[in-house]
Amino acid sequence: MSSVDPANDPSAAPEPSGWQPELEELRLRHEQSVALGGAEAVARHHAQGRLTIRERIGGLVDEGSFQEVGRLTEQGRYEHGKLSGVTPAPYVMGLAAVAGRPVAVGGEDFTIRGGTSWSGDRKKGGQGGFVEDLAHQYRIPLVNLIDGAGGSVTSIQKRGHSVFPGVHGFEQSVRLMGEVPVVCAVLGTAAGGPAGRAILSHWSVMVKGTSQVFAAGPPVVERSLGQKITKEELGGAAIAVDLAGTIDQVVDTEQECFALIRRYLGYMPQNVWELPPMERNGDPVDRCEDGLRDIVPRNRRRPYDMRRIVRWIADRDSVMELQPGFGKAVITSLARMNGRVVGIVANNPMVYGGAIDVKGARKQTHFVELCDCFHIPIIFLVDVPGFMVGRDAEAAATLREGMRSVYVSLQATVPMYTVVIRKCYGMAGMGATDKNGLDLKIAWPSAEWGSLPIEGGVAAAFRKEIAAAPDPKAREAEIEAKLRASASPFATAEAFGVEEIIDPRETRPYLCRFIDAAQSRLATTVGPKPKYGVRP
Amino acid sequence: MAMIEVTSVVTGSVWKIEASIGQRLEPGESIMILESMKMEIPVIVEDGGTLRELRVAEGVAVTEGQVVAVIEE
Repeated sequence: MSSVDPANDPSAAPEPSGWQPELEELRLRHEQSVALGGAEAVARHHAQGRLTIRERIGGLVDEGSFQEVGRLTEQGRYEHGKLSGVTPAPYVMGLAAVAGRPVAVGGEDFTIRGGTSWSGDRKKGGQGGFVEDLAHQYRIPLVNLIDGAGGSVTSIQKRGHSVFPGVHGFEQSVRLMGEVPVVCAVLGTAAGGPAGRAILSHWSVMVKGTSQVFAAGPPVVERSLGQKITKEELGGAAIAVDLAGTIDQVVDTEQECFALIRRYLGYMPQNVWELPPMERNGDPVDRCEDGLRDIVPRNRRRPYDMRRIVRWIADRDSVMELQPGFGKAVITSLARMNGRVVGIVANNPMVYGGAIDVKGARKQTHFVELCDCFHIPIIFLVDVPGFMVGRDAEAAATLREGMRSVYVSLQATVPMYTVVIRKCYGMAGMGATDKNGLDLKIAWPSAEWGSLPIEGGVAAAFRKEIAAAPDPKAREAEIEAKLRASASPFATAEAFGVEEIIDPRETRPYLCRFIDAAQSRLATTVGPKPKYGVRP
Repeated sequence: MAMIEVTSVVTGSVWKIEASIGQRLEPGESIMILESMKMEIPVIVEDGGTLRELRVAEGVAVTEGQVVAVIEE
């Protein structure tokens, strides 16, 4: 008796049990969902220089890593009870990987009804929906590839009633902002809900010429205000990125957009319960750039290239500047120091001598909050004469927006390092210090500080004395020179009012040493940051 | 050849004009120096070109985004 019972033979195929029709239907449904809005709609979309949602996801994530969820979400058409065709839901999403780490990714399919919202029993994404639940439940980053105009008034017709705002609300989108990195790319015309969704992100990007973003598009603007305006004039990158800072960055092509998203995510932890990934590139910690000694001109009125300082100090090729075209008085960059992710806030002496204006303050506020949220230590490269002055600055609420950035800095608990390159004055200078932490302030020999710069201060404080002098101009200069002599940074260092003055070449090794040492503290203080109080 | 309008990044005044009409400027060279917030801010030709037009004179006030010169690339 050598025969094996077929039921116990693992290599034997079971008897056919008749599921072939269902499996065939499944194959047909998958095939139709991959076809999106059909060949004609896809060709029209391509002709506008835009990729389909499936091409976008393919271009963004690690090759072959996209595991779609909800491939059967669609409107089926039936003839005599048998499926004859389907219209897929205009949203494609699922689980994927970027640089080997899982992410939740989704986006509207413009080739089906222009990507307008679609309601099944459960939403796939857009505002809330499965893709946001996935990011929240699994604590993984969310990437939204936005290309839709949101709701359509035609839904009233379909439902027989109008929907109250927030039925498909932003509550999950808001929750995610304190939990996982959220990146939004605007890849078409985003108005209404999708435009709002783009703003609820840690970082956003759009494509020059093919994407626009606004609360409402040209037809609504014309009816409401009588303004005739094109969608590019209303919400193209010139307005949304450079002027308003509504979106953080602009790129020339969708491919560049995907590369930049991958780069940004490379600096981010998966969530606020973890630290960002370390990545050493062999750049020696003790690399001391000679150029740092001479970059600051002796003439205090001459500016210099702060971006070069940032590049010289950080790990080679590790700097990613955020919002480069907006709020140019402040330069904000993600970078690495000995492989560890840091945020660098640097004042730009080329723009208003580095004075903080409304836009610069807004940019700094967002960046400091971002770093604090994801446990990214902050380096301040300080050359700030103060808040911007003048009628225009006051009318724009520079003081309020500036104090908001100071408030956010003083509430942050992530380790911060203050490096005074040249000027560090007043309230803006205070916002560049680590008052809740070690408060380590190092300075270059070119540093100077005080409650306000000597030039402006002398004229006010010694007004009578200057006016009474036979040569008021000469007297003012004399007083300035005398005060400047006592304002030497060495005098403050003697009193331990600043912890160290260093040869500028040593900036990199000095900072790397302390950032490495802060890792235990960082690793033991992960988790969401509690928010309390009211921002000014 | 493309004409490029050069704008001021700051509000301030024109302190010193350094280049003259017809002059060839290398990338990074400055056309003029503005004074703003007690700082000397150079107006730099990023990609180089020939100075064709000066829209401002020394001593005049300029606003952020104002065209101060035109260069031919």
